[in-house]
Amino acid sequence: CVDTLDDYNIDPKRPLSGQVPGTTLVSSAERSLVRTLVSSSVNLNPFRLYTQYWAETTYFDESIYDIKTRNINGGFWTALYRDVLRDLQEARTIINANTDPTFDPKVKANQLASIEVLEVYAWATLVDTFGDVPYSEALDFTKAPKYDDDMVIYNDLITRLDRAIGQFDVASEGLGSADLIYGGNVKEFVKFANSLKLRLALTIADKDQAKAKTLAEAAAKAALISSNEENAAIEFQSSNPNTNPLFEDLVQSGRNDFVGTSVFIDKLNMLNDPRVDNYFKARGGVYKGGVYGTSNNYASFSAPGAAQESATHPGVLLSYSQVEFLLAEAVERGFAVGGTAKSHYDNAVTASIQEWGGTTAEATAYLAQPTVNYLTATGDYREKIGTQKWIALYDQPVDSYREYRRLDYPKLTKPAGALSNLPNRFPYPVVEQNLNAANNSAAAAAIGGDNVDTKIFWDVR
Amino acid sequence: QNREISGRVTDAANGQGLPGVTVLVKGTTTGVSTDSDGSYTISAPASATTLVFSSIGYSAVERVIGNASAINIALATDAKQLGEVVVTAQNVERTRNSLPYSATQVEGESITKARNPNFINGLSGKVAGVTIRQSNSLGGSTNVLIRGTKSLFGNNQPLFVVDGVPISNANTNSSDQQTGRGGYDYGNAAADINPDDIASTTVLKGAAATALYGERAANGVILITTKKGRKGLGVTINLGATAGRIDKSTFIKYQDQYGAGYGRYYEDPSLFFLSRDIDGDGVKDLVAPLSEDASYGGRFDPNLNVYQWDSFDPTSPNYQKATPWVAAKNGPEEFFKTALTLNNSISIDGGNDAGYFKLGYNNIRDKGVLENSEVNKNIVNFAGSLNLTPKLTTSASINYTRVDGKGRYGTGYGDGNVLTNFRQWWQTNVDLKEQKAAFERTGQNKTYNYSDPSDLSPIYWNNPYWVRYKNYETDSRNRFFGNVAATYKVTDWFNILGRVTSDSYDEIQEERNAIGSVGLSSYSRFDRTSREYNYDLIGNFSKNVTESFSLSGLIGANLRRQYISSIFSSTNGGLVVPDLYSLTNSVSDPLPPTENETRIGVDGIFASATLGFKNMLFLDLTARRDKSTTLPSQNNTFIYPSVAGGFVFSEMLKDVSWLSYGKVRANYAEVGSGASALSVFDVYSKVSTFDGNALYSVPNTKNNPDLKPERTKSAEAGLEMNFLRSRVGFDLTVYQQNTVNQIIPVTLSTATGYSSRFVNSGEVRNRGVEVSAFVTPVKTTDFSWTLNANWTRNRNEVLSLYQGVDNIVLATYQGGLSSNATVGQPFGSLRGSDFIYNDNGEKVVGANGYYAQTATTNNVIGNPNADWTGGVSNTVNYKGLALYFLVDVRHGGEIFSLDRYYGLATGLTPETAQNNDLGNPSRNTIANGGGVILPGVKADGTANTTRVSNTNYGLYGYLRNPASAFVYDASFVKLREVSLTYSLPTSIVSKFGAFKGVDLSLVGRNLWIISKNLPDADPEDALSSGNLGQGYSSGSFPAVRTFGGNIRLSF
Repeated sequence: CVDTLDDYNIDPKRPLSGQVPGTTLVSSAERSLVRTLVSSSVNLNPFRLYTQYWAETTYFDESIYDIKTRNINGGFWTALYRDVLRDLQEARTIINANTDPTFDPKVKANQLASIEVLEVYAWATLVDTFGDVPYSEALDFTKAPKYDDDMVIYNDLITRLDRAIGQFDVASEGLGSADLIYGGNVKEFVKFANSLKLRLALTIADKDQAKAKTLAEAAAKAALISSNEENAAIEFQSSNPNTNPLFEDLVQSGRNDFVGTSVFIDKLNMLNDPRVDNYFKARGGVYKGGVYGTSNNYASFSAPGAAQESATHPGVLLSYSQVEFLLAEAVERGFAVGGTAKSHYDNAVTASIQEWGGTTAEATAYLAQPTVNYLTATGDYREKIGTQKWIALYDQPVDSYREYRRLDYPKLTKPAGALSNLPNRFPYPVVEQNLNAANNSAAAAAIGGDNVDTKIFWDVR
Repeated sequence: QNREISGRVTDAANGQGLPGVTVLVKGTTTGVSTDSDGSYTISAPASATTLVFSSIGYSAVERVIGNASAINIALATDAKQLGEVVVTAQNVERTRNSLPYSATQVEGESITKARNPNFINGLSGKVAGVTIRQSNSLGGSTNVLIRGTKSLFGNNQPLFVVDGVPISNANTNSSDQQTGRGGYDYGNAAADINPDDIASTTVLKGAAATALYGERAANGVILITTKKGRKGLGVTINLGATAGRIDKSTFIKYQDQYGAGYGRYYEDPSLFFLSRDIDGDGVKDLVAPLSEDASYGGRFDPNLNVYQWDSFDPTSPNYQKATPWVAAKNGPEEFFKTALTLNNSISIDGGNDAGYFKLGYNNIRDKGVLENSEVNKNIVNFAGSLNLTPKLTTSASINYTRVDGKGRYGTGYGDGNVLTNFRQWWQTNVDLKEQKAAFERTGQNKTYNYSDPSDLSPIYWNNPYWVRYKNYETDSRNRFFGNVAATYKVTDWFNILGRVTSDSYDEIQEERNAIGSVGLSSYSRFDRTSREYNYDLIGNFSKNVTESFSLSGLIGANLRRQYISSIFSSTNGGLVVPDLYSLTNSVSDPLPPTENETRIGVDGIFASATLGFKNMLFLDLTARRDKSTTLPSQNNTFIYPSVAGGFVFSEMLKDVSWLSYGKVRANYAEVGSGASALSVFDVYSKVSTFDGNALYSVPNTKNNPDLKPERTKSAEAGLEMNFLRSRVGFDLTVYQQNTVNQIIPVTLSTATGYSSRFVNSGEVRNRGVEVSAFVTPVKTTDFSWTLNANWTRNRNEVLSLYQGVDNIVLATYQGGLSSNATVGQPFGSLRGSDFIYNDNGEKVVGANGYYAQTATTNNVIGNPNADWTGGVSNTVNYKGLALYFLVDVRHGGEIFSLDRYYGLATGLTPETAQNNDLGNPSRNTIANGGGVILPGVKADGTANTTRVSNTNYGLYGYLRNPASAFVYDASFVKLREVSLTYSLPTSIVSKFGAFKGVDLSLVGRNLWIISKNLPDADPEDALSSGNLGQGYSSGSFPAVRTFGGNIRLSF
């Protein structure tokens, strides 16, 4: 009888809670995080459109900021909370619960610190995209979580990141091969953590210059990502399901949904940018962009380049080029991070060109042009760094979208027929209005309206 | 002196002899029964004047004897006969007047009248309280709902029981398929029954009627009783064929003025065409924008020659030739063929005092309206019973079904469904017959939808013939169900039944995407095994305690064990060798298959008692206790009772001549049900393996170790009255069912790390009225006319969900639409974006000239539940001729059309190419007098005056309109079934020697949609059975009008 059938309700095909190594959940979280950030799926990540790298060919809904139809904001939110942060939380629980005496406490500390760094990265991405979000009460299925103030979250993230950095022991093992980013190289993971700290510092610089200074200077004293080889990135693989999501959208789908925009390609052409042939395919021997925000005939314009079509193209969380741009900006803001703005800027541009297969000679020639040369290019540091950073972050759309909003360069305009202004943020997912209504409306009031025009706390200019 | 009278009693419906008819000399106790072929001989006293012929289920007939020595009688069935025996829960046969709850019996004859190969569809419109929604796809599943949706996330389909064997009615359709994201509808498993083997079907609706079946009976039970062998030997043969054509009112009508393109932005000076040198003369030629799957392109002009898709095919007569830019002569309506169904069956039965047997075979070959589609069904059933001793009877039955499908229709949205292509994304210049010729000529995917003149790979859509002939699915199911039983008669008032039943099937579904198709080539297979065993021990007793009091009842135990195991595997990264469909033919190593295994065990004990007083007052009591493995052990036992009473008040009014029968009844019952298997303990999902590292993830749904059973509380009251010698009558039922403690995966803010979590919470109420009525205006020996009608109104409301939660998303659909359970709303309310209306209810148009839309997508924009449903059938008999027709009505409810959402945007339908208020083609540029002023008002309340362009795509479709613009009334009135049957008179049949009866029928199904409001589609067509997809129409299949004939021969 039923009393003897206790095992009937145990899934014979899946491991029960606690039965898998915690590191397997870190791997899954890393993969989900990178895929979310580099995807070009119109259901998930429209930021290559918002930053006007790409235009759509026939169906231009996302280019005119139609967010709700495909619930893009919901897709992005869910990917980060459910598929990244929840798995990282579970990994921490499992690793913490591991009382095996042979489990080296230093390895354990490194694993937990690595999880912390990845969590900070994911949380910061949520704040940068939505503003106030559920944080202190999040990841608890028994609660409809309240939303926390975006700046308060950021401050806590910085504290957590500092603590994690202090917890690393570079002489011991970490996540091992389960770390899909560094393959268990703790030293490089620490550089990633410091570089992330530098990024967070400059993100809040317009809002809290003093705090930014302290943080940036501390980060610059530590080891930062110092070459493209040290980029925080996942090398995707040649076969499904581990291919770069761009390959899935651009090649495997058989669709021709995207071409470069005239805004971006005209700029590359004007600056004789050596990356143009890596970024795009030539059309009739030239590089030509389509009109952003309306339909474009695919055959008439330059489509995304061969690198992006490669299944194994890496997906980047934080690059050396980015670090150097941050340092250049730090110098301009008067932070004692060493070097000059020009030297960091030159390093950043060179790293980016090399990242895309360009040579040092190409970089030198490029930088020598008055339009590119830091000393002669037009505008203030925001414009100079903003413009070159925009070009360099072509394959990091989420970073690019943040830097565009923060530095206010390049100057982008919304297309005719747009449903709204160029978004400063994503509205909250519609399910939050239904399932977490009281907290959601409180958050909407706190940030000054749940719409695309509301700015994130650090976006004060 | 006595005299002998002999003769034969036959069934008026089929001329067959009726055994066991009581022949009584009126006013005496002298009587005999007819023998196995209906013959009798009675020795009547000289004083006898009249014989009375009576049999349960037939109208009694009196005949004056006069001088006759031979009297032959044909008895007509009387469905309204009060002594009618109804099969109720646990196969207890009871007279209708003793039932204290609503139970509707439908004779097998009535189900098979229109020769529907799926017997469930044959119930449509015939039973009050039962809503049946058929799919128009070949072999597709049928949704059956009795008294509304009760469980928000659980199964709401009734339990099907065949001669005591619960049989699976599962469908294996994925939730993606059910929410319109592509895939095939593999049908539902209860359709594996031979319709010609059904003697009768009883629909038990409320919990009081079903409680003995335990936890699965909360949604009602459809009890099927198969035919029993009769005395003597009988053979019945049915030979039938039907043909079907699509109902054009349910297919899209195209505009015929503009061809391929999305607007004015291509390469030539007109900006409507590509401009390439195709013939190599150095001059650029006009080329149709091949890659575009819309018809917002250049205006048709017979004098304009354009290189079209066929000019790139070296085998085409138009190779490298430009052809006139005109609307296609043969549009997609030419794609549909004549459907053909052959439905043949034979049954042999026989019996004597020691027992009976029957053997049936049914073959249904069903070819659909789409190319290369076929479902074949072979059903063999055998049953036998043997009276081993006067006290011990043993019986066994077995049904074997084999279903083979090939080329079932792709459903929903996707390149597997040609209807998505035809209704949503199409080039009106493409001639279907030329697409067919190109495919037949080359065997290749010569699509009209190439990526580019320089890249002849398909971009969005394949050649539709390629889809049907290369990317077809195949499936098969082998199934056995049956039982072995023994009944031991302990005394004349007590017997014990022991029974083992089994329903066991294995199925495989294989899907293909050939090399050369849109998307990655692939092959996948899904293997599934389903087993269910029931072990029953039931004691039945029935005793008249005193002359006035009767007591009957049963006590029993049931052990149920279910086991379902499945494995899904697919190639990875494409196929290597063309046309080879095996997992090893995978470009990359296939990913590990997905394995699922669920086991359920339920132990039930139950008892019931019926007390009767003078055949006038009846009281039923039942109780059942279930113990289910699906619940945590501390909560796995649940007990539920029922109480029901009936009062046949006409027994006290016997002198009221116009009242033939009157009964009131009332009952209350509860039924508990367990959870879905594996909802208690948390597990991890394997994501994949990345470079040698295993990846695990926390699943999206949080399980719950504290689940309790869900419970349905049901109350019902009814009134049955017949008048004027039962020529007119009605049966009225009112009911309310509240399903509480629902086991729901309550949707969570994903900020919790989960999408949903299983909880016990929420309450759904269904309340309604069911009426069935009949009238027989004319009834003579030769001519009768009967009208049956039924009407059902169910009101469903979600009363509560979960603390702080007033809405749960049940499903999301393409089109920014979701189906929801919202407190205060009916199940499945549709939410999406809406127009903005001013205080006068006028649509507000924004400054840009387009309709203003809500920023949110959680506005309630539709209710998919019908206001009421009903059916009216007419039966006219004249001598051997019987005319029958059934009108099936659904009133109210709403449906969202994704076909319109996209099809209007892409300029397929005529309203996208109308002239504007200036009398100019609206598709002209605004500068050239075109454009449209949308009806509506500006924010200040004055009429909109802003002209917007209709030159590029989108004005009428999804791009510029909220989801609510595509919500339509889902009402329909259908002429569902028609049959005209001629039974050859016995006098002629008898001349053919062996024949006992010959019936010739003409049948028709779905011949005419008398009224509907959903443009270009059938509002009834469903993606799948089940809770999902209600009120959502995408890639919808046209209705098929079916005509045919059937010959029934009995020997």
